[in-house]
Amino acid sequence: MQAEPRADDAADRLDRFDFHGHALDDIWSDYRAMHAGCPVGHSSKYGGFTFIAKLEDIFAAEQSPEVFAVGPSMLLPAFGTDEPMIPIDIDPPMHAIYRKILLPLFTPRMLDVLTPGIRDTAVELAEAIAAQEVADASKLFARPVVTIVFSRLCGFPEADWPKFDQWVDDIIYERTEDPERAYAAGNAVKAYFDDLLQRRRDAPREDDLISVLLEARIADGRPLTHDELISYCYMLFVAGLDTTAWAIRAGIWHLARTPEAQAELRAHPERIPAAAEEYLRMLAPVQGMARTCLRDTVVRGQEIKAGERVVLVFGAGNRDPDAFDDPDTIRFDRAKNRHLAFGGGIHRCLGSNLGRRELVIALEEFLRVVPTFTAENPAESWHGVGPLHLRVQGGAA
Amino acid sequence: MRVVIDPGLCQGHARCASLAPDLFDLDENGYGVVRLGREVVPEGDLDALLAIDNCPEQAIRLELDG
Repeated sequence: MQAEPRADDAADRLDRFDFHGHALDDIWSDYRAMHAGCPVGHSSKYGGFTFIAKLEDIFAAEQSPEVFAVGPSMLLPAFGTDEPMIPIDIDPPMHAIYRKILLPLFTPRMLDVLTPGIRDTAVELAEAIAAQEVADASKLFARPVVTIVFSRLCGFPEADWPKFDQWVDDIIYERTEDPERAYAAGNAVKAYFDDLLQRRRDAPREDDLISVLLEARIADGRPLTHDELISYCYMLFVAGLDTTAWAIRAGIWHLARTPEAQAELRAHPERIPAAAEEYLRMLAPVQGMARTCLRDTVVRGQEIKAGERVVLVFGAGNRDPDAFDDPDTIRFDRAKNRHLAFGGGIHRCLGSNLGRRELVIALEEFLRVVPTFTAENPAESWHGVGPLHLRVQGGAA
Repeated sequence: MRVVIDPGLCQGHARCASLAPDLFDLDENGYGVVRLGREVVPEGDLDALLAIDNCPEQAIRLELDG
């Protein structure tokens, strides 16, 4: 048995704190070290940053954009581009103007319109899984559900969908190992939208997000510039396709490894929304987002200097023992769940309600259509959108 | 008691309207509002407490009447 790490060991370990790639395999140990005595600390990764781990401190920082700004980018490291993404990398006062254009499109009421299509798509893909003995639920279900639903909403043509997964993988998953590959994919995505916007100007439509952007007028009555349009499209592409696929995959990952949880949700599908909140809290696609400190400030007794990069570690806040009873356990009966999966403050994930709706419907239909399943390869990790092989009871019979 | 949403804090997470739809609604931009005529609740009202406990921004509170 290993002894509890000493405080200086913890600081040393946390000086290498990372929240991407293989660092996620056992990031929970880092979070426990933070909560045990280092809730604000320093990592030397990615040029160096101060991390904030307590849920209340993270919300306070998110609610203080005048101290913790998003510029030059909330992505650390960069997401295949050095241009700011609208609106997530934009600070007040322009932020609200940019965000307002998208707001009405992501309300729960608008989502009711999308719901039947989400359900039909989930059923169709789940039926293909149910017919197999061993199936990759990430490749055949989690990713395509989201690609189909989100691309239809945005107006990304179906013929282009097969290109998307590789771009997403290069930008989001390869960036920490191979930034050049991420930038190359980022340039390909920008060129793709450059072309798509031109095609849409030549043949206008009225029923999707790209149309809304093309018709939008900014505060002074001008249309969006070409660069602004590309930035919005880029943001929607990287934010909308990957995160929800990860969340759906993570839920199925847990159910495949936890027979009693799977049995509970099969018997009580009305508990799926609460289960989805727990998956978002415990296995969130976004474990942290960056800020830049604009003026000297103090958080939990630690000084943070103007100019320092700061990472709000949502994943740590989501396991904060001061905010959650039994914080490291997935519990479907949790009555109080102010988790940070979607962040907070003025940059609260705009797609949170769409993401939630997709996650809940995907889990509902997957459990309804696919018979009892188990993990075919227990070593497959909880994070990312890599393969998730399931053995399906009675599949391919 | 009176249920109040602070519009300066609400960021449209929509947890209140999702968990306690009889008490809360959303405006056209997705921000939470207390349903008209439902502002006054008894002390310990479960819907109000559920929404307060789950509002990420802590934008909902109970105030004494009058």
